[in-house]
Amino acid sequence: MPRNKLIVMTVSALLISTSGAALAMDKPLVPLQDTHAHPVLINATANQEEDAKGFISALADEGLGLLSQNEMTDEKRQKEFRKLLQRNFDMKTIARFALGRYWKSASAAEQKEYLKLFEDMIVKVYSRRFEDYDGQDLVVKDARPSGERDTIVQSEIVPKNGPAIQVDWRVRNKNGKLSVIDIIVEGVSMSLTQRSDFASVIQRGGGQVEVLLAHLRTEDQQ
Amino acid sequence: MATCTKRCVNNTKQGLKLALIIASTLTVSACAQFKHEPIVEGNLVINDPLEEYNRDIFAFNQAVDKVVINPVIKGYRAVAPKPARTGIRNVLRNLRSPVNFINEVLQGDFDGAGKVFVRTAINSTLGIGGLFDLAGHEGIEYESEDFGQTLAVWGVGHGAYVVVPFIGPSSTRDYLGYFTDSMMDPLRWYLFNIDEQPLYYSKLGADYLDIRDSLYDVLQELDASSIDYYASVRSTYYQQRQAQVLDQTSQFSAPSIPDYDDDL
Repeated sequence: MPRNKLIVMTVSALLISTSGAALAMDKPLVPLQDTHAHPVLINATANQEEDAKGFISALADEGLGLLSQNEMTDEKRQKEFRKLLQRNFDMKTIARFALGRYWKSASAAEQKEYLKLFEDMIVKVYSRRFEDYDGQDLVVKDARPSGERDTIVQSEIVPKNGPAIQVDWRVRNKNGKLSVIDIIVEGVSMSLTQRSDFASVIQRGGGQVEVLLAHLRTEDQQ
Repeated sequence: MATCTKRCVNNTKQGLKLALIIASTLTVSACAQFKHEPIVEGNLVINDPLEEYNRDIFAFNQAVDKVVINPVIKGYRAVAPKPARTGIRNVLRNLRSPVNFINEVLQGDFDGAGKVFVRTAINSTLGIGGLFDLAGHEGIEYESEDFGQTLAVWGVGHGAYVVVPFIGPSSTRDYLGYFTDSMMDPLRWYLFNIDEQPLYYSKLGADYLDIRDSLYDVLQELDASSIDYYASVRSTYYQQRQAQVLDQTSQFSAPSIPDYDDDL
């Protein structure tokens, strides 16, 4: 019985609070990464981390430069932003991840239309956010490897006033070319959130990708 | 004497009511779990057996936000400029120190407990009653700890996702944690002992305003960028809680994203 189990768990957790706390101390929730790497590999990772940090720094400079040009029209800004996106983000990977398991059930034509609409949506949403730009700065802090080809670059957005916001960038190395595939703001992955959103829309609409496309089409026209 | 008795009875009644609400949510969610498939997103497992009911409450909260909360926040922002609001936030966070401290200890995070202690000592004195977050400037940053996180560290799962009227996203575990936190808050005990309940409730109100103010822009953006806002908020809630539980340490794992080269 899940109900009984839940109660038993809660009660026992309360009872063993002291011993439980002691246990929790030296037991990581997620296994730590293998530290016995080959020296050459360590060097390679260090380089990869520095490369990824440099990549994000350059991207931030370019982005902030775009933002500080006040006289730019919305249309021009969107155009510039799209170029920046296409150059520095792996839009295909991001879009495919966002569609999750429904990618396979979509027809070739639907996939093609989806990729286009997805990019349009990202351009619209993020260039709208740019309007709120208020002189914040982006500082690259650290980087760590994640999986075989990814590096997580940690950065902070520092506003003029108030606490800094933690922003992590998942940077993928594809045959030497670096591109961003996820942005994680204060522990919240933009890609994963988008995926949850899309999955819910499709599921509640009866399981057809067409439902999502219809939504994206209307957004696109606005 | 008579008034005191009356109030005591009222307090007990309220306590009972809350306990009943929690008990019934736990029961309902546990029963409903039988026929509901959990949603697995990356490394998250989301149980939302009460989805239809939750969506109704969510719509209700959105209406309240639109008519009451958002205008209040706009007013608050007009009256208090950013530095003033930051000062208020610092004071409120400082007042939460005892609860943060207790939870750090319960989680076995003695490093974290030490940090809370040092922060409170510095900010309460040199920071003038917590108004200035001097410790934060020195790299001892604020971390909000609550009993929901403590339960998570002890291995208790979320249970069911619950949207609480006026409050928003929560889960059976986190709501139980929220309730426990307010019960064990030494500040509450103290203020109730010296018969200053109104002060405690004013502090709760200020906490609410501060939290809603801090979430305002984020929620507006999330709403603008999602099609199904309910699903986006739910996902965000689970992700953020997970990050808080792991204190964003190296153990914190962002969702991994597969390679799609093969079939593109």
